[in-house]
Amino acid sequence: MKSIKYVLLAAIVLSMYACSNTPTIAELTNPKAALPSSFNFDQLGLKAITTFVNKKQGTTSTLYGNPLALKTAIAGTNQIVAGEVFALVTWKQQTDAHWFGANIPGNLQQVEVVKSTPTIEKPLAVSYARYEGKGLTLNSDTLNNQDRIKYILSQKPAIMP
Amino acid sequence: MNNPRKTFFSKRTILFFTCLLIIFIIIQFIRPEIKNPPVTGDLQAPAEVKTILKQACYDCHSNETQLRWFDQISPLNWRVAQHIKEGRKVLNFSEWGNLAAGDQKAKLWEAVNQIQEGAMPLKDYEMVHTSAKISANQLTTLKNYLLGTVKPSVYNDTSKINAADKQYKKWQDNQLSPDNLPVALNGITYIPDYKNWQPLSTSERFDNNTMRIIFGNDIAVKAVKNNNIHPWPNGTIFAKVAWAQIVDKDSTIHTGAFLQVEYMIKDDKKYASTGGWGFARFKTPKMVPYGKTALFANECMNCHRPMKNEDFVFTLPIKH
Repeated sequence: MKSIKYVLLAAIVLSMYACSNTPTIAELTNPKAALPSSFNFDQLGLKAITTFVNKKQGTTSTLYGNPLALKTAIAGTNQIVAGEVFALVTWKQQTDAHWFGANIPGNLQQVEVVKSTPTIEKPLAVSYARYEGKGLTLNSDTLNNQDRIKYILSQKPAIMP
Repeated sequence: MNNPRKTFFSKRTILFFTCLLIIFIIIQFIRPEIKNPPVTGDLQAPAEVKTILKQACYDCHSNETQLRWFDQISPLNWRVAQHIKEGRKVLNFSEWGNLAAGDQKAKLWEAVNQIQEGAMPLKDYEMVHTSAKISANQLTTLKNYLLGTVKPSVYNDTSKINAADKQYKKWQDNQLSPDNLPVALNGITYIPDYKNWQPLSTSERFDNNTMRIIFGNDIAVKAVKNNNIHPWPNGTIFAKVAWAQIVDKDSTIHTGAFLQVEYMIKDDKKYASTGGWGFARFKTPKMVPYGKTALFANECMNCHRPMKNEDFVFTLPIKH
């Protein structure tokens, strides 16, 4: 009877030890930076164009684009053609818990999507949409749209040989 | 007159312990030589920083090793000698002058990170050398010292802008990629497809003024999606790309010249000796393999070892 008790005790102690040493998925990933799966970002089929950090606002952004957008961005002609898709994802920065000396994405702030499409009236129309917050809800305010389109299109791609 | 004690210390027991004692005495003559070679160029740092490093690191990471009496008893001293030999090879504050300025900086940040993660000082060393334990306050002192050495990238740094522009023009003309695929000394070939993978995270490194994207191949991205990253599945590949920093007039930091791409390839059998990961680093757009011998991967492992519980991965992937 006594030996069973000891075995049980040992098992409990061991399992507690094991639990405290195995990090959870939340600890292994960056949950507050995650895009909601309902947004289906991966369905857009975009590639990374560049990354930049706004020190004044303490944000970090990654610019994505479809292959056509990437191609025209590299060419640097500043001439948008129909069929380009850009997405700029912006996070608040946070310090990297694993590396003193680094800042990484923290809370998801917004995703801005720029698309160029031909319409009935015009051969080329550029649309802009901004999704905000952790849930990425659409903000219909159009105040700075033209500035934001210009800003996004003016980004120089990161050199990737 | 049968004394129960007599049966307790049986002849066999006495013989056993006598043998043990004789062996113990004999092995005292098998002593590794622990020498203190001359100090050629000691680390220069403020006194409060130096005091902490001397007390916590110098026994194994300098030529000023101070052995306590218990360090000199065999077989303990065999382990002590091994620690010192390996410690000095990785980091030696007494031969600090031999390192390039950039390497000195990187070593110090790595050292403080190893302390922060609890990987250094080694736990068994710390247990017997209690004075080597680094307190939270002492760690703060070390971190503040490093923060004081940071030189943030500045606006209009023409040499950085020119270096980036030069690369960029070649890149636009498809002249930047290497003609063949360079191979690292451990047999890992440069993988040009990294740029078509998905970013798992990004990093602004103020310790060495770089910008980084950590890409993951399809297996890695799927593993993140399915919460299957402990351990990461075989076939996972990460590519961490580093660029110099270029600051615009609005204090936004952009990517500058391409500096290097580093890979981690998961194969728990092939790379069993390095935590199941194959490491490689290719520098400059020519993708020059890093390392003088195939043992360079030990260097990678030394830095990644504190992340053992995280399958040796620093990056916290972002679900997209």
